[in-house]
Amino acid sequence: MYPIVDHEVLAPRVHRLRVQAPVVAEKAKPGQFVILIIDEKGERVPFTISDWDRDAGTVDFVFIEVGKTTQQLATLQPGDRLLSFIGPLGRAAEVDRYGHVVTVLSGYGIAATVPIIRALKEHGNTVTTIVQAPDKERLFGVHPLEELSDDLILALGTKGDGMMESTTVAIRKLLDAHPKKPVDRVIAMCSLCLMRVLSEMTRPLGIKTMVHLTPVMVDGTGMCGACRLSVGGTNRFACVHGPEFDGHEVDGWEVLMARRCTYADESILQQGFQCRGCSQW
Amino acid sequence: MTEAKEPKASPKKPKLNLNRVEMPKQSEHERRHNFDEVALGYTWELAKEEASRCIQCKKRNCQQGCPVNIDIPDFIAALQREEIEEASRILKRKTSLPGVCGRVCPQELQCEQACTLNKKGAPIAIGRLERFIADWERTQGAPTMPEMAPSTGKKVAVVGSGPSGLTVASDLAILGHQVVLFEALHVAGGVLMYGIPEFRLPKEIVQREVQYVQALGVDLRLNTVIGINYSLDELLNTDYDAVYLAPGAGLPKFMRVPGENLNMVYSANEFLTRTNLMKAYLYPEYATPIKMGKRVAVIGGGNVAMDAARCAVRLGAQEVYVIYRRTRAEMPARLEEIENAEEEGIQFHFLCNPTGFLSDGRNNVAAMELIRMQLTEPDESGRRRPVPIPGSEYIMDVDTVVVSLGTSPNPLIPSTTPDLEVTRWGTVVIDERGRTSKARVWAGGDIVSGGATVISAMGEGRIAAAAMHEYLTNGQ
Ligand SMILES: Cc1cc2nc3c(=O)[nH]c(=O)nc-3n(C[C@H](O)[C@H](O)[C@H](O)COP(=O)(O)OP(=O)(O)OC[C@H]3O[C@@H](n4cnc5c(N)ncnc54)[C@H](O)[C@@H]3O)c2cc1C
Ligand SMILES: Cc1cc2nc3c(=O)[nH]c(=O)nc-3n(C[C@H](O)[C@H](O)[C@H](O)COP(=O)(O)OP(=O)(O)OC[C@H]3O[C@@H](n4cnc5c(N)ncnc54)[C@H](O)[C@@H]3O)c2cc1C
Ligand code: SF4
Ligand code: SF4
Ligand code: FES
Ligand SMILES: [Mg+2]
Repeated sequence: MYPIVDHEVLAPRVHRLRVQAPVVAEKAKPGQFVILIIDEKGERVPFTISDWDRDAGTVDFVFIEVGKTTQQLATLQPGDRLLSFIGPLGRAAEVDRYGHVVTVLSGYGIAATVPIIRALKEHGNTVTTIVQAPDKERLFGVHPLEELSDDLILALGTKGDGMMESTTVAIRKLLDAHPKKPVDRVIAMCSLCLMRVLSEMTRPLGIKTMVHLTPVMVDGTGMCGACRLSVGGTNRFACVHGPEFDGHEVDGWEVLMARRCTYADESILQQGFQCRGCSQW
Repeated sequence: MTEAKEPKASPKKPKLNLNRVEMPKQSEHERRHNFDEVALGYTWELAKEEASRCIQCKKRNCQQGCPVNIDIPDFIAALQREEIEEASRILKRKTSLPGVCGRVCPQELQCEQACTLNKKGAPIAIGRLERFIADWERTQGAPTMPEMAPSTGKKVAVVGSGPSGLTVASDLAILGHQVVLFEALHVAGGVLMYGIPEFRLPKEIVQREVQYVQALGVDLRLNTVIGINYSLDELLNTDYDAVYLAPGAGLPKFMRVPGENLNMVYSANEFLTRTNLMKAYLYPEYATPIKMGKRVAVIGGGNVAMDAARCAVRLGAQEVYVIYRRTRAEMPARLEEIENAEEEGIQFHFLCNPTGFLSDGRNNVAAMELIRMQLTEPDESGRRRPVPIPGSEYIMDVDTVVVSLGTSPNPLIPSTTPDLEVTRWGTVVIDERGRTSKARVWAGGDIVSGGATVISAMGEGRIAAAAMHEYLTNGQ
């Protein structure tokens, strides 16, 4: 059993949990994830590791309440125990000295990308971070990003307070300045739609764009094939070959988006989740 | 239910009794709607009657047909004497999983095929008798514990808790070694838990075996993936004197045809894992959902395909088709399971093969394209190969597909252990006693065979455990 040692509410429906799991903390790297099960009747669900402390043996992740399991997670308090907590799964995000890296974040990616940005800085990169959130109330986790990034752009959908109106406008400006002010790499952990759009924007410029893909997973160790997707013409399993992929090589976006929503009609709470091209609506 | 008449008619002259005692089953109508076990097992009366048919051959053909060499005539003789406990003891000398093997062994190819009475078409129902004995023991309270050897001070890691790993863990624990059993999933048992459905092998029986292994002092560490949490070298360089690898063959195969990633195209592993391990048939009481359409195609002809098709029926599919490229005669699935599937209304389409899957326009599968096949003349190996008939393509409407073409060895451990020799199929290379190319490492089960049976996975474990014990006690 894996005790919860801390639970913080970051914004409405957004929570950070800290779990005692020394075996996971021991090997965790930026961009990896865990699969947890709450109790005997629970499902296996993946969450990206947002922080860890090897000495204390703890692992953090941030989640958004969207359905049955995340709602149940939101009720757990320090002292409660998870039945299962497996990880670190997947490959670590690629990190090297690239030059100027732009990271694009939304949802839980705002927290889950922090270890990647920290590693990018340790490798001497300049980092511009773009954060997308629906509005100021639902924005969270800005503080560490401010500290780590050389430049932080908030895209909150509404103008004012020095905020951009949309992520694509912000990224367009950066790309327009390229190559005079070069963008050497883009790393995105945000909605599938946005990651796809970003990949199309950077493709003509040949800027390597890494996307963090989240198909539905069951075992998370390469056994079930639920997370398969087509990358560069071959089938890859996101849980072992990913979750980070080169966005220009992903060629099954539409199928991926459809498969991601197989169970969306079961209990989805998130407003505005419904998107064009979705197989379930 | 039983067709046998007057079993003890002539006490002086042993006359062959060819009335094999049938085992009661749930009716087709009933079982289409539940996940309860289909076969209900012998009563003591039926078991006695079946046992009485055994003529106690001197040559022990049956025993030679069993991959783990169970003393079949002896345990049946014990049943004939009405000594069930003694029968159980005899069984346990060679198998630690009698309740499992009695249910899922392909007896018709092993012990029962070799039985002398098979020549007359009525082999002794050895599997059913084993199952009876195991179930009887289960109702008698705690299993009898074996005598444990004193501690040797040696420590062994066993990777994977399927039948092979469970066998090695218990054998080595009984011999006095300290055993840690690592399992990647949150439950021990391997395919017995995640693959084979409840209606063929109740999970409670598997868990009882797991508890028995733990009662022997084996330290079971769930949720721990070797190759991720610890590499094989880390195990060898830290606490462990020897390692047994039994991670199985869990990597699903796909056909590589267009449309195979469409929504509602499952691998058998995903479909069975959701259903069996995660109990999606009890959704929403259990949180894992499974989406099922009305017209389900299961591609393949093995046990896995039969299990998937029969799960689909129980999950509420209106029509379930099994698509197999050869004919019924070549199907690798057990005959008993093919018959069960037929009784449950599953429709078999032989001599056809999918060439692609078509979308409903929103990336859900709506149909598949098939091509008709024909069997060629037998080649040197005697096998008739299926070849497509040009121009014979046709379309079949389906809204759910389960690809059940088998699995390959799990690549995780070989890929993180460069000096572990594997074949080009990814199976780990061993010698006749289970030793791998890497010092202090043995392997067995599906990771070596690429996918075989429960009993062979157990048998290989038994051989390797003996070799490991020798190494641990005298260094060879
Ligand atoms: C590699 C990876 C990392 C992730 N990291 C995070 C994270 O750090 N924080 C976070 O909030 N969410 C993360 N997710 C998504 C998270 O797993 C889902 O939000 C969660 O499973 C929803 O469960 P639910 O029962 O509350 O909602 P449901 O009603 O069951 O599902 C809502 C939606 O969540 C997605 N989902 C459901 N089950 C799964 C599953 N087994 N695997 C993947 N997606 C699923 C589907 O898109 C579904 O439509 C990650 C997913 C993946 C694959
Ligand atoms: C659906 C289905 C039906 C079948 N029906 C029959 C039947 O009727 N009769 C029959 O005799 N055989 C049947 N088989 C075959 C039989 O189940 C297998 O041959 C047998 O289970 C193999 O045993 P094993 O111990 O080698 O591996 P498995 O049973 O596969 O167990 C391997 C275990 O290792 C774990 N593992 C894998 N990698 C790691 C790692 N890196 N670290 C830690 N743990 C790891 C896995 O999670 C798993 O629990 C069937 C198989 C399937 C899939
Ligand atoms: S273990 Fe299997 S093959 Fe051996 S006797 Fe029992 S049922 Fe037959
Ligand atoms: S071969 Fe058949 S009849 Fe002969 S001893 Fe074995 S089980 Fe009995
Ligand atoms: S989640 Fe099962 S293979 Fe990736
Ligand atoms: Mg859910």
